[in-house]
Amino acid sequence: MSVASSADTAAAVRPAARVKKAEPPYRLYTLLIFALVIGVWELAPRLGLVNEIIVPRFSKVAVAFYGLVTQPFFPVHLFTTLGEIVAGFAIGVTIGLTLGILLAVFPVAKRVTYPFVVGFQATPKVVFAPLFVAWLGFGMSSKVVMAVVISFFPVLINTLVGLESVPENAKMLMRSIRATRFQTFIKVSLPHALPIIFAGIKAALTFSVIGAIVGEFVGASKGLGYLLDLYNYQLRIDRVFAVIVVLASIGAGGYFLVEYLDRKLIFWREDQAR
Amino acid sequence: MSSAVLSKVDAPAGASRSEGAAAIVQVRGLSKIFHLDERDVVALEGVDVTIREREFVSFVGRSGCGKSTLLNIIAGLLDASTGTVEIAGQPVIEPSKHVGFMFQAPVLLPWRTVESNVLLPAEVMGLDVAAVREKARSVLATVGLGDFLTAYPKQLSGGMQQRVALARVLTYEPKLLLMDEPFGALDEFTREAMNLELLRLAETAGITVIFVTHNISEAVFMSDRVVVMTPRPGKVAGIVDIPLPRPREIAVMQQPAFTGLSFDIRNILGREQ
Repeated sequence: MSVASSADTAAAVRPAARVKKAEPPYRLYTLLIFALVIGVWELAPRLGLVNEIIVPRFSKVAVAFYGLVTQPFFPVHLFTTLGEIVAGFAIGVTIGLTLGILLAVFPVAKRVTYPFVVGFQATPKVVFAPLFVAWLGFGMSSKVVMAVVISFFPVLINTLVGLESVPENAKMLMRSIRATRFQTFIKVSLPHALPIIFAGIKAALTFSVIGAIVGEFVGASKGLGYLLDLYNYQLRIDRVFAVIVVLASIGAGGYFLVEYLDRKLIFWREDQAR
Repeated sequence: MSSAVLSKVDAPAGASRSEGAAAIVQVRGLSKIFHLDERDVVALEGVDVTIREREFVSFVGRSGCGKSTLLNIIAGLLDASTGTVEIAGQPVIEPSKHVGFMFQAPVLLPWRTVESNVLLPAEVMGLDVAAVREKARSVLATVGLGDFLTAYPKQLSGGMQQRVALARVLTYEPKLLLMDEPFGALDEFTREAMNLELLRLAETAGITVIFVTHNISEAVFMSDRVVVMTPRPGKVAGIVDIPLPRPREIAVMQQPAFTGLSFDIRNILGREQ
């Protein structure tokens, strides 16, 4: 009695082994650009095009990088900043998620607090850094708070937007099968919002790095931001670049970790834009 | 109303499979007014319809004639402004577990497999999922998806996705199936196959079907009766009995009676315009 018409069954079996058009070697292009940048960086100071005091050649930065990471004091600074970033990120994401869910679930709360939300977003968060140092001191807590304040917002907004973008017919379906609001939230709204929430989490990661570093710039005795500020003051620009490389690696590493989780968790995502 | 139409209204259904059956849905004096920003829109006005058990009834009409609104009210998804809807003698105040609802879109959850989508209502309603799983698999096999239990919606064609949606309602053995242009988004051939399949399944399971469409031939082909609705305000313009023999085959569309009935419906729609 099965009437699985071959017309639409056939469409389901996608041609997996489609003849692939030869793709241009994009990876090679990327590497070439990278090599070009390094080459210019190495040659420009050597040829006297830029002052080596301001822009040390690449090889000097590479040596400085090795020199920095092998210093016995380096781990203390690295883990101080890492700790601030991770704590700020984790707390920021938790707060952003919680507030986003609350505002989405209770429309009244959203209407009442929305002016504050917008006002807060319009304020450049960096301006709070001196205040937090004044209130919480030169230790890690002022940097963690700075990272939280700067990173929770994208998570909040994306959670709110994601939960509010649940298609009307999915909600209707849940009502037609007598689902409670809580069931609809857990089984439909939250998974639906997850891809959008994850985009906010990625932004939060980058922001929490900024928060920790800005906090350290304003007042700290430990951390990579403190080191960067110190070396800059001492005009050891090669070391400044070395710290920047470390910070960039932290940011990139975290980003790829979140990206990996995103791919694993949100396997059903249709759009390729991330 | 012309006498040609009047003579058909509420006439005993000749070849209907529901002949002499009891009423399952009773809509009385139903009106629905939507309060928009500046003005009130009368979506439905004074709708009276009775649908008998095991009957297949279609609602046809232009966009905005209130047919979907009526279906949503019968489903308990929307409140009526005035009037009542009773299903099996009980006033409708919320969706019932004996009523299945199918939308124009399949509305599958993309992170769930085919089988898991069909089991969603069981989870939500707190049924024994293991027991329902057996039933779900047999229904999925019936609609031709026995080999796709672990597939995800995006791997399926539109027609197959709608089959999953069909399996999702049929698994729970509804007494009444409400369908809002369920195959409207599919291509002609797939829709025809799905319609035949639906007729067979509804007949076998003894399900009453209320079917909303804007396709006149589809309505005639499927139904025991066609309720013709006209817009502004949405109301019933006439009810046409379809005394064509069952089981219906595609060939029935070539019969003069089929053409005549389609024309009657077109006339009612046109006259009200």
